[in-house]
Amino acid sequence: MNRDYARYALRRVLQAIVVILLAYVFTFVVISVLPGDPVTNTLRNPQNGFTEEEIARIVSYYGLDRPVYEQLWDSLSRLLVGDLGISLRSGLPVGRLIGDVLGSTLLLAGSALVVALVLAFAIGFGTRYLPKRYGQGLLRAFPSLFLSVPNFVIGLVLINVFAFQLGLFRVIDSEGGLATFFAAIALGIPVSAQVAEVLIANLDHEAGQEYASVARSRGLGQTGLFLRHLLKPSALPVVTVVALTVGELLGGAVITEQIFGRTGIGSLVERSVTTQDLPVLQAVVTLAAVIFVVVNLVADLAYPLLDPRVRLGGAKPRDKAEVAR
Amino acid sequence: MSVSALSRARPVIRRGQASRFPPTVVASFAVLALVLLWSLVPTLFTGQDPARGVPADKFLGPSTAHWFGTDHLGRDLFARVVHGTASSVTSALVAVGIGVLVGGLIGLIAGFVGGWVDAVLARLVDVLLAIPSFLLAVVVVSSLGFETINAAIATGVSAVGVFARVMRSEVLKTRRAVFVEASYLQGGSRWHILVRHVLPNASRSVLMLAVLQFGLSILIIAGLAFLGYGDPPPASDWGLLISIGKDYPLAQWLVYAPALVTIATVLSVNRISRWLRKTD
Repeated sequence: MNRDYARYALRRVLQAIVVILLAYVFTFVVISVLPGDPVTNTLRNPQNGFTEEEIARIVSYYGLDRPVYEQLWDSLSRLLVGDLGISLRSGLPVGRLIGDVLGSTLLLAGSALVVALVLAFAIGFGTRYLPKRYGQGLLRAFPSLFLSVPNFVIGLVLINVFAFQLGLFRVIDSEGGLATFFAAIALGIPVSAQVAEVLIANLDHEAGQEYASVARSRGLGQTGLFLRHLLKPSALPVVTVVALTVGELLGGAVITEQIFGRTGIGSLVERSVTTQDLPVLQAVVTLAAVIFVVVNLVADLAYPLLDPRVRLGGAKPRDKAEVAR
Repeated sequence: MSVSALSRARPVIRRGQASRFPPTVVASFAVLALVLLWSLVPTLFTGQDPARGVPADKFLGPSTAHWFGTDHLGRDLFARVVHGTASSVTSALVAVGIGVLVGGLIGLIAGFVGGWVDAVLARLVDVLLAIPSFLLAVVVVSSLGFETINAAIATGVSAVGVFARVMRSEVLKTRRAVFVEASYLQGGSRWHILVRHVLPNASRSVLMLAVLQFGLSILIIAGLAFLGYGDPPPASDWGLLISIGKDYPLAQWLVYAPALVTIATVLSVNRISRWLRKTD
């Protein structure tokens, strides 16, 4: 068992590294091979005010006068020594640009995840607690409602109600605690829907098991049954789902940060897209892929350690796609 | 406690199964039919020109004359929403089409050929799934240029990974089936098996995913339009209308009307997708 697990873990780690490198190459290909030459367009744009000398320096730094595959090779070998390149828009190292704003986005995404989990577990508990006819059906409809609302609409409604009408926070002071909280709600609600869906399905399944009937026949109430018996087996698959929603948190940050006027990875992407800042986009996409791959790797590797049924059964941890669907 | 609680524990027969079409599903189809009509024959629903405004009538609240009110140029918002439907819905269809075709093809080849081809394609799909779909769509659209059709293509590219994975697993499932083995033994060619057995069996899962992805694509394209990566005004995609409306906080309806239309459409699509999965 231990040997198998080690071999499985090693294979997964290697795959993860390959995927991350490929993500870097993929972004390079998407941006530089598709029609349009963003780099020279940006450099030659008089608004950016590059002198001929600077243009020559940047062009030679990126080797833009050389064939695409050589540029790609250069870009890859720079990545391996940790050099992410220089932003075309600001002329600053990409690593520093990202480092400056990463904390803000991680705080937002982390808070959004907490909001999502609290909301999902509240809904999950509610579906077991509320009587079937009154309220439960409504509660079960919540996840699919959450999934149908564009996250920018949630953000706009929150700002409208809590900032403009109730005056709880100001959009100008975007990094304040309450402002972050509401931004996290806007980002977290669509994520909570996915978690809640899986949680509800698992709770229904576990509640139908014989051990649950036995517990009920011994006189255990809904709350006790939920906390003592249903919660743990139902919550374990949630680990996998949460790992899969990491991408959504990072992607959704582009819109949420724009609406709430926050600086972060999302607003960096937005600015870089309008100026076609290739090195920044490439670095951000790779970073997102790294976070996604690492989180999912950890979740998959931890799963057999968390769930003895998977471990003892000797079965492989669940396939991502199966849990997601 | 006891009896009623125990009955709750048994696998419940869902209410929806009694009649084949639950009322909410009927309502969802009705909403989609209306949206489809809006995009095909918008002039049937509104006689007003979505691009021409009456400056004297700006910022009028919803009324019988202007169902969704008017915007900052005195244009009828209902007319703008109705005329923006075609673009919003078609681009989501294009996105799903790209996902089904490209993703389906990748999944089909990976599952059917197997071996190192499968291994290579699997890594490609891993990459597509590892990049957050909205971020991927943003990068692709920035590379192609800011137009609605490019936003649709970008959304389609971001959906390729999911379709490829589902198609591959369906193909693998079918290939191992006994009737496929029987077909081989009877001398069926690979091509025959592919067209006659594998594709029809995989199509149902892919169709269900396509419906789900259609709703998701509407949201992603609305998000791209909201950020200004689609056609500029006077186009009136739903996401763009919401984006313009947010600049006028005193005229709430400018945000709520297009937002409610978007939500109703996506909700209906999701309801139908759920219903398809249940009746499977």
